[in-house]
Amino acid sequence: MPLNLEGQQRREFIRRSLAMIPAVTVAPGLLLATSAEADMPPLHKYSPTFFSDEEWQFILAATDRLIPEDEHGAGALTANVPVFIDKELTGDYGQANDWYMQGPFHPNADPVFGYQLPHTPAELYRLGIKGARHHAMTRMNQEFSDLPAEQRDTLLSELEAGKADFAAAGISDLPSSTFFSFLLQNTKEGYLADPMYGGNRDMVGWKMLGFTGARASFREWVDQHDVPYPLGPVSLAGKRG
Amino acid sequence: MIPYFNHPARLALVVVALGTTAVAIAAIGNSDDSKGISPQDTPADTALIKRGAYLARAGDCMACHTREDASEDYGGGRPIDSPFGAIYATNITPDPKAGIGDYGEQDFAAALRQGIRADGSYLYPAMPYPAYASLNDDDVHALYVYFMQGVVPVAKPAPETSLSFPFNQRWGIRAWNWLFADEAPYTSLEQTTGTISPERHAQLDRGRYLVQGAGHCGSCHTPRGMFMQEKALNDQDGDDYLAGSELDGWQVPSLRGGDGSGLRNWKEQDLVDYLATGRSRHAATGGEMRSVIQHSTSHLNDEDLYSIAAYLTTLGASDKASHASGDVPASQATSDSKSSSARDATTHQLTAAISLDEGARLYLDNCNACHFANGAGADSVFPPLVGNAQATADNPKALISTMLYGAQLPSTPKRPERLQMPGFDWRLTDDEAASLASFVRQSWGNQASAVSPEQVAEVRRNHGPVDATQQGRPEYLRQHAPIPSSTPSSN
Repeated sequence: MPLNLEGQQRREFIRRSLAMIPAVTVAPGLLLATSAEADMPPLHKYSPTFFSDEEWQFILAATDRLIPEDEHGAGALTANVPVFIDKELTGDYGQANDWYMQGPFHPNADPVFGYQLPHTPAELYRLGIKGARHHAMTRMNQEFSDLPAEQRDTLLSELEAGKADFAAAGISDLPSSTFFSFLLQNTKEGYLADPMYGGNRDMVGWKMLGFTGARASFREWVDQHDVPYPLGPVSLAGKRG
Repeated sequence: MIPYFNHPARLALVVVALGTTAVAIAAIGNSDDSKGISPQDTPADTALIKRGAYLARAGDCMACHTREDASEDYGGGRPIDSPFGAIYATNITPDPKAGIGDYGEQDFAAALRQGIRADGSYLYPAMPYPAYASLNDDDVHALYVYFMQGVVPVAKPAPETSLSFPFNQRWGIRAWNWLFADEAPYTSLEQTTGTISPERHAQLDRGRYLVQGAGHCGSCHTPRGMFMQEKALNDQDGDDYLAGSELDGWQVPSLRGGDGSGLRNWKEQDLVDYLATGRSRHAATGGEMRSVIQHSTSHLNDEDLYSIAAYLTTLGASDKASHASGDVPASQATSDSKSSSARDATTHQLTAAISLDEGARLYLDNCNACHFANGAGADSVFPPLVGNAQATADNPKALISTMLYGAQLPSTPKRPERLQMPGFDWRLTDDEAASLASFVRQSWGNQASAVSPEQVAEVRRNHGPVDATQQGRPEYLRQHAPIPSSTPSSN
């Protein structure tokens, strides 16, 4: 598809935006499944409801590289990002409940026409993980989740660039770049969304950014210049990070 | 009050009534007062019916005689809680069987002013006939014509009140009436020559008549004695009159300007704003007063509201501002220099957001966006917490209830928007709510007692299930309910 750089960026922007909108509008449904925010268990105690064991291992291994734990702050695993994605895919978002999902689908249509694949996000993840694991096996002769960090990064870059051959895994209608784009988008959401949705555990994502959370008003700070804001974040449910 | 009734002799005498929640809750009823007027009515009748409808508003008959869920007004059936059981307000529509259609005007007047039904039996004094005794004959006539001709008959009878013995012995009320009720008609305010203009005198007298009579303000705002009687029925009857009380754990503020937690800083305009709209620069209404404003005072004309306000501002302090003994009133907090520095100290603490104790931190996380670091809120929108009568009342129940379950202003003709404070019951633990309430009660110069987690737990226990839709909770949080986290989507 011949597109100049500007067009590529615009396309990417729009596509990401499209992925974002349903994630936001689906929030009430998600909430049903994620009320016990305060008691959210750490990752190793969580049993996924959407992902199979093999898929879960892939999600852990992939999100760990998309937002790694480093000197800047907590990583996706500490933030329970995989929990967020599991809940997201279990709920309305996973079923594309409020997306228009009737055909015809035109994958090559201009991005302004919106998401053009017949797969719900839940189906897309099943296929994408299958394709990505197959790609890892083909390229590195190992499960993706068993590979060291550098090799996982290489594979993720190939997914992002659309270079992983999903067709070889029997998946003809899902570009690997689309799967990667969903995975990255949902990982960011899980890292930065309010903890009531299962991710951003203890508000680690907000702490890394210095975001203050849902305190609602900073009226007193308008005229306090050059004073560091002293308070940590607070979640929608009133918990402190 | 309960302990007084342990003595059998007292029990026999006191066939009480006055469910403390009498003036309870709102009737969300049809507000078209003039319906039912048939076209053949003469203009004079129409005017009379209109005046009667207006007086029924002034008397807030609807508060008790219309069920919240009723489609027709004044069909009765609303239970009024008393310590002895529910007293059901009667059907006062002109239906001859279920209502009062067969009442002559004399019967109607006797019920209204003496608490005696047409069949000769006594009404429980949940009906404020000791106050309505002040209504003059013209007004009683207008009310009678309105209830006979301006109200749609409701054929369904209201449930009978059946209290347990001895409170079911209505004859006992006769003794109570003899002791405590006053059948004397209203006597006008004495004109002290030279001090005020005749116009001002007429205004004060009109306000006094409305407050004492139809408005029956004393039913809640005058403290009650051992036998549930109002300690004073008018301003000639002692300075307990309108000196404040407590209703279902909520402080009922004194309306006597000099009393600590009363209206000392309220100007006439503030009172008019509050009565017309439920909000003023000093307060946003809550508790039972919300219904009074919704169904009664917001329907009064400006002339009457200014009259009421003018009259109230003339009432002096009671001897013993007894009900507010523990409070330091708002007014004092702002004028007194020590309190003023306390006010500044809290403001500075919250502004800098350092050295925060638990309560101060919770205030910033939950309250500060609307009530602000200086606790002053915003005129007629966010009520001030500094010196707030409910927040600093001896009994913290009103504050705790408001924090946990929010508040909603009534929609009135002048200010239709139902401003809401959301409830924080799902956001605060008992310990947190207690720390936060204590902070509010002891900051900016407020000097009320601390609140314990047990007090918060008690309010929760008594509240029952939360209806999130009634609460101002944002749409996306309404389903914040205990649903198992592993529930898969049904789709």
